[in-house]
Amino acid sequence: MMIRKEVCVGCGRCQPYCPAGAIVYEGLKSCVVREVCYECGTCRRAEICPVDAIAESPDVFEYPRSVRKYFSDPTTTHVSTGISGRGTEESKTNDVTLRVKADEVGIGIEAGRPTVGMSIRDIQKITRALARAGVNEIEPNNPVHSMMADFTTGDLKPELMGERVLSAIIELVVKRDRLGHVLRTLKEVSKDLESVFSLDVFTVVEPGLKIPSEVLQTIESEGFTWMPNAKINMGLGRAWEKG
Amino acid sequence: MTHSLHREGTVDSLERDYAVFIYPARGFNYAGSGPKVMRLMELLFLAGPSNMSVTTLRKNLYSGVPQAEFLSSIKDGARVFSVFSDRVKVVEALRRLKEADEGISIVVSGLVDRAREMSAEVGLNPHTVNLSLGIHGGTDTLPPPDIRQFTTMCGHGLVSPKLVRDVLRKVKRGKLTTWEGSLIVAKPCACGIFNPHRSEEMLNDLSPVYTVSRW
Repeated sequence: MMIRKEVCVGCGRCQPYCPAGAIVYEGLKSCVVREVCYECGTCRRAEICPVDAIAESPDVFEYPRSVRKYFSDPTTTHVSTGISGRGTEESKTNDVTLRVKADEVGIGIEAGRPTVGMSIRDIQKITRALARAGVNEIEPNNPVHSMMADFTTGDLKPELMGERVLSAIIELVVKRDRLGHVLRTLKEVSKDLESVFSLDVFTVVEPGLKIPSEVLQTIESEGFTWMPNAKINMGLGRAWEKG
Repeated sequence: MTHSLHREGTVDSLERDYAVFIYPARGFNYAGSGPKVMRLMELLFLAGPSNMSVTTLRKNLYSGVPQAEFLSSIKDGARVFSVFSDRVKVVEALRRLKEADEGISIVVSGLVDRAREMSAEVGLNPHTVNLSLGIHGGTDTLPPPDIRQFTTMCGHGLVSPKLVRDVLRKVKRGKLTTWEGSLIVAKPCACGIFNPHRSEEMLNDLSPVYTVSRW
């Protein structure tokens, strides 16, 4: 994003809206610190500027800067997936897609969430750690898949290293007996990260919304805890386009 | 992802916060989903959500857009996001959605124990659960938990901690009511699952005791 200096009246109303804290005073006018901005567009959508001085950066859709926009602005459709949002439909449509089956678990590594954002370099630390641990089941329909340069090393495309995003989700589907291995790997790499990730594990449940004890025991034995709230697919969907 | 499983706060506060989604599946039931999603969204409206949005509009319930416009914007593949502050209303919504039987995935995000009770009351058989295992990494970069209970209501991270503090400061100084402040904080959330009723409660709780500097 950018603020047209010749128009800005320096009221500062836009500044608290920026999740990255990228809008600051430069003299008597507000300006966007380009390196810090995620191109999420929140400042503009807030419609708070009294003189309409906020505009999109001229190169916002030029690669590689465009990844900031696609990963940070949920109102934009991601070029690599054709959908808005950072990930796939994951557990939300699992009753229809059966993307994660009864003997598997889905894992979501929500890089940069909540609100802090993450550099691509930090994201690469995670993908490299997963690759070193032999975990290469990265969901092909997830936008992070399109950033990968080498799946065997976990390297991301080198031209992206100067970029940062508000959130990017690394999604995996693994057999249940591999969950502990993945959790150990993530615990280890989390020590090297400057930023944060929120961690999801999703599984098919048993009747009565009973969470499989095998999954809970693995989570517990790896030193993780689950929160009292969760996202639950209520089982009302069905497919009609296939089969 | 909507990140709704990672909403933070006390269990008492989360008791009054349930996100409900209507979600067609790409390649499985997208084609022809528009009219079904529209019908289901009407049913959610009837149950009385605290906030709501649809991906074809990306405006929340307090944006001034008439309800009819939410519905008329829907086309095949549209997804609906809503949030409820009352467990009874969620049960009512689920009952209506089950009866409609449109075959579109329905997701509830909230306390697992409550979701289990609600499923039993309505006669649903949940299929999948997505558990939150918390936040990891450089957690010293995070804002404090009392601010995160606001900001995590927008999973995409569009509600800035600075905005929450700014609103808190204005509420404390009497420049905004807690409801006005809530709507300001809710506005950046493009998915419409920021719960302004819950944030009003939280502003009421926090503003007397909170001391804020410029930010």
